[in-house]
Amino acid sequence: MEPTKELIDALFRERVLRARRTPPEEKLLDGPRLFDLACRIMADGLRDEYPDADEQRIQELLAQRLELLRRLEESA
Amino acid sequence: MTSDQAALAVVEALEALGIPYMLVGSFSSNYYGIGRSTKDADFVAEIGAQSIVQVAERLGPQFRLDPQPSFEMVTMTLRYMIYVVDVPFKIELFRLSDDAHDQERFRRRRRVKLLADREVSIPTAEDVIVTKVRWASLARRSKDSDDARAVIAVQGDRIDWDYVNAWCDRLGCRTALDEIRQSIPPM
Repeated sequence: MEPTKELIDALFRERVLRARRTPPEEKLLDGPRLFDLACRIMADGLRDEYPDADEQRIQELLAQRLELLRRLEESA
Repeated sequence: MTSDQAALAVVEALEALGIPYMLVGSFSSNYYGIGRSTKDADFVAEIGAQSIVQVAERLGPQFRLDPQPSFEMVTMTLRYMIYVVDVPFKIELFRLSDDAHDQERFRRRRRVKLLADREVSIPTAEDVIVTKVRWASLARRSKDSDDARAVIAVQGDRIDWDYVNAWCDRLGCRTALDEIRQSIPPM
């Protein structure tokens, strides 16, 4: 089922109001912190997917996933 | 080293070397808008072949400078890439261009508090909107229009619309700006 416009607008409104309540200097470093968190979660997923891979291999696979995401983003 | 520490190290290097700069891209749109993940830190700086080497030396062995600058196709500016060793996070240092809006947003840049004892230079909210709408219009990247939409919604009536409208008219992206504004629900 597709979300309604009302629901999408309500969610956006909630995010805007939360952002207004957050000190801007905290939000400035949100980008790299969220990226590091996403990388840690992706690396955990890769460790599950490749239980025999050592840490160097996990980091190589992570770099490949990030490159794939970059290409998908650019072609979107 | 974490990605935010890498970005802070570059801020410190530019400040220590007295190189005029501003932190742009998603860092500045996060400041004025809604935070989102980013895999690189973008800087615009008055930088040349000699000063980029000084920056790299000051950053030390945890960073690796690609000595060959590249030409960034969306912004049409010269870009130096700095890689963070062992972290998939990149620093992109764009040389301040002759583009009229690039010059104007650099001239109007402001100092804002970063952490308890630090400050950083970033563009104004209006210049973030103009830049994001311009790129959204040129490169058709949805994340740029999403960022512009978030900054407009979060900043509300604090935005100087005469300034934003005038630049978007001049840069040929006024239609894109108007569409983004119309898509924002009432707060």
